[in-house]
Amino acid sequence: MSIFEYNGSAIIGMAGKECVAIGSDLRFGVQFQTLATDYQKIYRIHDKLYLGLAGLGTDAQTLAARFKFKHNMYKLREERDIRPSTFGQLVSSTLYEKRFGPYFCSPVVAGLDKDNVPYLCGMDTIGAIETAKDFMVAGTAPDSLYGMCESMFRPDLEPEELFEVLSQCLLAGTDRDALSGWGAIVHVITKDKTNSRTLKGRMD
Amino acid sequence: MAGFNFDLCKRNSFLESKGVKAPGYTKTGTTIAGVIFKDGVVLGADTRSTAGSTVADKNCEKIHFIAPNIYCCGAGTAADTENVTGMVASQLDLHRYATGRESRVVTAMTLLKSHLFRYQGHVSAALVLGGVDFRGPHLFTVYPHGSTDSLPYCTMGSGSLAAMAVFESGYKDNMSRDEAVSLVDRAIQAGIWNDLGSGSNVDICIITKGKVDYLRNYKYFMDKTYVRKFPVCYPPGTTTVVREKMVALKDVDVIEGEASEAMVID
Amino acid sequence: MAHLRQHADEFEAELKQAVSLGTTIMAASFDGGVVLGADSRTSTGNYVANRVTDKLTPLCENVYVCRSGSAADTQNMAAYVQYYLQQHRMELDREVSVSVAANLAKQLVYNNKNMLQAGLIVAGFDKKEGGSVFALPLGGTLLQVPFAIGGSGSAYIYGFCDKFWRPNMSAEEAKKFVVQAVSHAMARDGSSGGCIRTVVITKDGVRRDFVPGSNVPQHYGELGAQYATAMA
Repeated sequence: MSIFEYNGSAIIGMAGKECVAIGSDLRFGVQFQTLATDYQKIYRIHDKLYLGLAGLGTDAQTLAARFKFKHNMYKLREERDIRPSTFGQLVSSTLYEKRFGPYFCSPVVAGLDKDNVPYLCGMDTIGAIETAKDFMVAGTAPDSLYGMCESMFRPDLEPEELFEVLSQCLLAGTDRDALSGWGAIVHVITKDKTNSRTLKGRMD
Repeated sequence: MAGFNFDLCKRNSFLESKGVKAPGYTKTGTTIAGVIFKDGVVLGADTRSTAGSTVADKNCEKIHFIAPNIYCCGAGTAADTENVTGMVASQLDLHRYATGRESRVVTAMTLLKSHLFRYQGHVSAALVLGGVDFRGPHLFTVYPHGSTDSLPYCTMGSGSLAAMAVFESGYKDNMSRDEAVSLVDRAIQAGIWNDLGSGSNVDICIITKGKVDYLRNYKYFMDKTYVRKFPVCYPPGTTTVVREKMVALKDVDVIEGEASEAMVID
Repeated sequence: MAHLRQHADEFEAELKQAVSLGTTIMAASFDGGVVLGADSRTSTGNYVANRVTDKLTPLCENVYVCRSGSAADTQNMAAYVQYYLQQHRMELDREVSVSVAANLAKQLVYNNKNMLQAGLIVAGFDKKEGGSVFALPLGGTLLQVPFAIGGSGSAYIYGFCDKFWRPNMSAEEAKKFVVQAVSHAMARDGSSGGCIRTVVITKDGVRRDFVPGSNVPQHYGELGAQYATAMA
């Protein structure tokens, strides 16, 4: 068994026109036993920046706490919110520090940068950044998520349609993964609001 | 330097002893190449990065900046190539501030090899380093264990054999810039088409005295083979929403660099 | 993403393979100096990573080393010895003796014998001792010898060297002896090949030379060798 399959997760980030969306499933399990169906894998860093952490639950929570701390320190020093691209580098170097004993987490960073340009990136467990203009996936079923995104994604989607495309990709993708699913949550970030919607998904 | 943290090693090796597999890393199972020509160096790379057998990134950048006159192609574990080149670039930057002189390619090479040697091959970065300094053009290969070779033409990565075949048949001394670019392009394409670990596009970087031409996606092969005429469109309301929470953002724009009193404190 | 089980990760295997100098190296003393010789092949597994390698590395002005074993280990060792000898030279303000260079190399090999895979031959010329050759095999023993051979190819030429090495050769004779010996090793050893590089060190300084692959003496069984045509 891969360590990623211990808790199960599915995350998609997707970029639209002056908007970006990130969604995850809601299952938390220990191997085949489901323990919770309202488990959040996406963490809000600030109004226009979200971080999804797929992989081992314990490491995801540890990392989320560390990043919250680091962002607080950054805000105290700089008196402003961190830029998504800067935050991407911060996540990367935090993970690479543990190159020879990594956190078992692969992150997806989604946010709106200056002038509301979407920023999207993903990483492996040791912080090799992979920036994407279209979409980014992570979790236990990346192949089916990639397949859905690859065929359904179109550039420059408006927020409402971006939400639908991401949601359908996520729901259909997780249907072929036993370890993720049980509903989903999708955050859509636009320049003047964030919209978080909990989706109805299959409960099997 | 570096300063890795080994806190989780014990836990991770315990997990591994229980039969839990650690995840693999993103690799650049790559074709990278370089050649010296009449007045400089040409570096080339494909743009595929892989996680296992999945293509993780279809258009990544493998030619890294080292100094204004030095660039470096990286193969191996993506995180390692990215960080090792980044560290050397910053060391050279500081060195230039201290000395006020242009960086030398051998300096970059020595910094790379001593870092890689210190980690005994565990930092798996296989590099092709090229640049032009006051002594002229230089080209090196650097192996993960910290050995280096100085050669007029060289290749690295999983596609290195395909690319080397092109070099061995097509290399001449004192080539013109165009000849060199076309040779490197053909070598990288040999990797793209014949090696499964390499793919997508060709990046080229031409370094001459006082000038660098970074030709990102010099050849672009990534257009979709089939685009739907009538794409699948989900009308609003397709997805069943159970709960919705809208947060309107305050109408404040914090402009970078200015200390703003309107900072939102949660 | 990156968690996919690694199937047969051949890139990993390729990268983990150490770059090694499966080699033929040698050095021989003669009247008034030493000559060093080496093939030029560097391999990673079955692949020739460099076919024009220079395995004869200067340690200081008048002392050279032949490197065999791991390319990374020997290159970095040579760099350390160079560094120590430069300091030593500055403190001393005169020519470094070959035995000092060899002893420094020995200390590195001996103190780190668990970490290193390095078989070296240190040879050079100093005014006090003339030409001298030191063999420095894997464990860190240091032996002063009239001539030394090393690397995987050396197994094929022990007999040849025992028969044809003579004391008090001239520089030309010694160089010819080295080229012939290395060419025999290259012919039989799969991990030796390419061209032959030589360095001659005398009181007059250092002279580098090389025999291109096409001019390396050919022997029985090799394509184009005169014996083969005679048999046909």
